[in-house]
Amino acid sequence: MQITDTLARPSVARLPWVTIGVWGGLAILVLVAYARAPQATTAVLTSTIRQSTPIILGALAGIMCERSGVINIGIEGMMLIAAFLGFMFNVWTGDLLLATMGALLVGAAVGAFHALMSITLKVDQIIAGTVINILAVGLTGYFYQQGLTTRGKLTPVSIPVLADIPIIGPVFFSNPPITYASLVLIVVIHVLLFRTVWGLRTRAVGEHPAAADTVGIAVNRVRYINVIIGGMLAGLAGGFLTLESVGSFERNMTNGRGFVSLAVMIFGKWTPFGAWGGSLLFGFANALQSQIQFLKNQLPPWLAWIGDLPPQFIGMLPYVLTIAVLAGFVGRARPPAAIGKVYEKE
Amino acid sequence: MKRSVSLIILLLVSALIAACGGPQAGGVTPTAAPPTGATPAPAKPTEADCPKPEVLCVGLVTDVGEIDDKSFNQSAWEGVKRAEAELGAIVNYVETKDAKDYDANIALFTEKGYDVIVTVGFALGEATAKAAAENPNVKFIGVDQFQATTIPNVAGLIFAEDKAGFLAGVLAAGMSKSNKIAAVLGTNLVPPVVAFKEGYENGAKYLKPDIQVIATYHPGGLDTAFTDPKWGADQAKLAIDQGADVIFGAGGKTGNGALIETAANADKGVYCIGVDTDQWETVPEARPCLISSAMKLITPGVFDLIKKAQEGNFPSGNYVGEVGLAPFHDFDAKIPAELKAKIAEVDKGLRDGTISTGYKP
Repeated sequence: MQITDTLARPSVARLPWVTIGVWGGLAILVLVAYARAPQATTAVLTSTIRQSTPIILGALAGIMCERSGVINIGIEGMMLIAAFLGFMFNVWTGDLLLATMGALLVGAAVGAFHALMSITLKVDQIIAGTVINILAVGLTGYFYQQGLTTRGKLTPVSIPVLADIPIIGPVFFSNPPITYASLVLIVVIHVLLFRTVWGLRTRAVGEHPAAADTVGIAVNRVRYINVIIGGMLAGLAGGFLTLESVGSFERNMTNGRGFVSLAVMIFGKWTPFGAWGGSLLFGFANALQSQIQFLKNQLPPWLAWIGDLPPQFIGMLPYVLTIAVLAGFVGRARPPAAIGKVYEKE
Repeated sequence: MKRSVSLIILLLVSALIAACGGPQAGGVTPTAAPPTGATPAPAKPTEADCPKPEVLCVGLVTDVGEIDDKSFNQSAWEGVKRAEAELGAIVNYVETKDAKDYDANIALFTEKGYDVIVTVGFALGEATAKAAAENPNVKFIGVDQFQATTIPNVAGLIFAEDKAGFLAGVLAAGMSKSNKIAAVLGTNLVPPVVAFKEGYENGAKYLKPDIQVIATYHPGGLDTAFTDPKWGADQAKLAIDQGADVIFGAGGKTGNGALIETAANADKGVYCIGVDTDQWETVPEARPCLISSAMKLITPGVFDLIKKAQEGNFPSGNYVGEVGLAPFHDFDAKIPAELKAKIAEVDKGLRDGTISTGYKP
């Protein structure tokens, strides 16, 4: 059976050398670029982290749900609702901490709604997620009013000493709070899933619920809690959009980032660090396509044609890269075995 | 059974709510019927006198949105109100709630014998041309409606965005200490956006030939390019991080995202410039950095055209309205007098044709 394969802890010995080669090569490229243009390189890497934050949070939300066997394609909708209500909490209270808590709670509530539909009411999980996505666009579009303003957004907090390290300092240690939280959460969720009893139960429920049941795990309870945690993570991603990144709300402002999260989750084979790699790649490709436009007039003559490409064409870069890496390096992605199946006791 | 029933109920509810949402501004009743009871103007001749030739009646049809949207609709309506005050016109407006109602809303005025009808926005172009063909005696003013073919009773009020961008570029170059400025733009699929960008770049180089201008167009289509503030904010940050210290945000909500992000970095001494209207009023979050906006002066353009219609020398085809920079507001004291003089000089040069923006459509 393949179950033992995924249930086993990922060990260092099985690290894929291709991945290490790719990231090592990227690191060397970064150093070369830094030597040539320190300011621009740092800016692009900072932008990479910034653009990958909502993606990795969304992907972590997906991992929590799907590892316990519940498909969640409603991440986009969860993000949008939390982004909207987080923004509204900020308008009403003017307190960013309260607003962030609000976004988390809203995410949890939508997560609970998804759990109710897909676990208790046994609605098809794809449909349940679609309902959330449609609901989110409709509700937020209907209730949003033009002209609401806030008193500000979350601003970067520099960590003393660490923030002064070249490259790494500005990129990792001079970020706003939700970005720090996302970096910490990657590690937390990795440990939770692969180093704790709860994680073992979650994965068991996602792979073989009947077996988990026979050893006394309350399958649906584990699923409920994981889907709600997933909802909170998606809520944090939504909060990131309105409370940290933009500072205001706009209709449909998630713009498909929840769906990119899903792709990134599969890209990372349902592991937090894998998904982080995927979201960094996506963020980097996005930052790079802007940088190419910025450099339009400074490219050397033999590269000038790149500057003349339409922005829409360069805008494909993140997606093309994702497909290429997914097809070329990642290989077959295998979802948890019991995903999408309602568990009923026999 | 239980499962399918709950599924159907869920789908119905969500479809209902989704249908109520859509692109309307929140809180309004989503009726398909146009509101006929808009406030009539308190003037001595009443609306019933509109068919008489000596009574000037001006009606305005908004694009989807409110009359007080702090943007296009409101600016155009202010031009109509000026006609009420200065020309004694009877004025009225209809707020469009749904794009399907353009024709019906224009008909509300043509049926009552209005003399001039103002339609606001590029999207009403088709409905305007159709109504104009059916009502040859009514004059139509189409705000932002480029006329590819001349219709005798339609004037398209368009703007030289490149000139507004040029002035913004001069201001940006004058305020930049790092000699690097940026523009965060909507899509290049919309010609006015390209005009703003080219004008901005050439204006900056006119003042400082060695200045570095970095600019990005949103890579998405028309559906996302102007409503992606997250992207705009990311671009502004990326530009600021590599030393740009003036950001020009030109792209609807996308550009507003860039303005707000720049405002969050205002402690680094960066400035931002808005677009279309005076964004000091429309995006108060951007006030910490907003030194001015590259404006299209819709209000005087609409008024001038109404006046010309009354005088009987209504221009058909395209009518190019004025553009200019918005007031500097709180930054007035921070802008050097010689830069202000230079901007005035460039403005004059652009008007009399001695300075070219270098933009070719």
